[in-house]
Amino acid sequence: MAITTASRLLAISIFFNAFVVGGVLMGFEMLGSRYLFPYFGGGIGTWASLISTVLCALSIGYFAGGAFVDRYHSARIIAGAILLAAIYLALVPATADPVMANILKSIGDGPAAILLASAALLLIPLSLLGTFSPVAVGLLTRSAEKSGGVAGLVYGVSTIGNVAGTLITTFMLIPTIGSRSITYLYAVALAVCAGILFLSIRKKSL
Amino acid sequence: MLVRLLAAGIIGLVLSAAVLIAGSEAQDSRDLIESKESLYNNIYVYRQGPYYSMTFGYNRTIYTESIYNSLDDRDLPVVYTRFMTASLMYAKNVNSILEIGFGGGRTAWYLHRFLPQVPVTSVELDPAIVELSHKYFGIKDEPNFQVVNRDGRIFLGNSKDRYDIILIDAYRGPFVPFHLLTKEFYQIVKDHLADGGVVAQNIEPSTMLFDSAAKTINAVFPQVDFYVAEGNVVTIAYDGPPRSNDDLDRVARERDSAYNLHYSLHDMLAQRRQTPIQGGNVIDPKAKVLTDDFAPVEALKAIEAHNRKWQ
Repeated sequence: MAITTASRLLAISIFFNAFVVGGVLMGFEMLGSRYLFPYFGGGIGTWASLISTVLCALSIGYFAGGAFVDRYHSARIIAGAILLAAIYLALVPATADPVMANILKSIGDGPAAILLASAALLLIPLSLLGTFSPVAVGLLTRSAEKSGGVAGLVYGVSTIGNVAGTLITTFMLIPTIGSRSITYLYAVALAVCAGILFLSIRKKSL
Repeated sequence: MLVRLLAAGIIGLVLSAAVLIAGSEAQDSRDLIESKESLYNNIYVYRQGPYYSMTFGYNRTIYTESIYNSLDDRDLPVVYTRFMTASLMYAKNVNSILEIGFGGGRTAWYLHRFLPQVPVTSVELDPAIVELSHKYFGIKDEPNFQVVNRDGRIFLGNSKDRYDIILIDAYRGPFVPFHLLTKEFYQIVKDHLADGGVVAQNIEPSTMLFDSAAKTINAVFPQVDFYVAEGNVVTIAYDGPPRSNDDLDRVARERDSAYNLHYSLHDMLAQRRQTPIQGGNVIDPKAKVLTDDFAPVEALKAIEAHNRKWQ
């Protein structure tokens, strides 16, 4: 019993997105350290703030994505979320330094300040990206019996994307092009992803 | 047959493991007297005769150590730390000294011991290191000697004080905090120097990170002198025109006798190298200046630099 029928094109573009979004998500977490260290130091406290902020953002994204996909059954939700995240990332390089400097000046460099700085940098774009997986599972699931397989596939592909994003950012991008350029690169990658999703919705044969 | 072979194999493995373990213990004649896991490091304190040493790991070859001779307060057993004090002959005045990266605290204490009237401030990220330095490395709470628990860059960013000498030795072994090696950081350091002030920094020269670090310091300070010291290099950086050997020697002799220093500045001056950073044979011309945006310290540290020819 089919709950929904996603076209093959949409399914392919969703899996492509799962990989790239997963990659940008973890890549931006690694990059977050480069934005925070000059202001708040490079200790384990900074890493703990970064990691917990990323996980917070993901849980917000999961809750929101799950709630949305049950109400509006459309890939436009994630395409829009990814586009908004792309816009946010595109604004980060120009604004991060004054924001960090202000937090340092007004709150200091304690745990509250580092958490606030991590949140300012990561919480909004990663919450938006976090909506992706539950929505993708919702869209790809054709029957209740097959939901386990779909969820496994989506999370598997997205987690491989996480691994790739972490390693490529750390070992290839940071040593060659600089943090601000990498952030712009991510913004472009996300915008392309959103574009592909929008296009595959329009061509959906439903 | 198979069982017997397997049994023989296992016994062989166990025996060779035992030999290996015994061998590694025989090599290490130091006694581990305390180990401590802190928020930032795994710290090990060893004793060998009168010498106490601090390491951040079991691998002796990659973790730089701080060493204290408990029989002689004036001794600086780690050679490069002596050259950190060469900064004394460059500074116009010596009224305040800042150190970033306290470690066992011996360099800061040496300066405090010979210049007790000069306030010495040292900034150390890890409170456990400060605690162990008091316990084993002869560090005491005294007037004009202050250790602050903070990240070095944050400390300077919040400070309005200026110093005649700033010593930077904030990275140990494999851990290189990139934010203490960038052009932006050295600019903050420069902004905290008094008129005629100098910056001394310890850099490990075996990898490409050295080339980038030297170029980065040079991007902020026009003058950079090198002192090569048993596996480490100390750079002394300052603003303004280059200082002549005669000029430095005059100050060195004056301060050697004024402070009665254990390691003579005049002798150290003989080791001065004014190696050109641009177009020289020592610093790779392709090395890039590190910035907050681009500072791949781990990647640079992985590239070995062979046959550095100091002139």
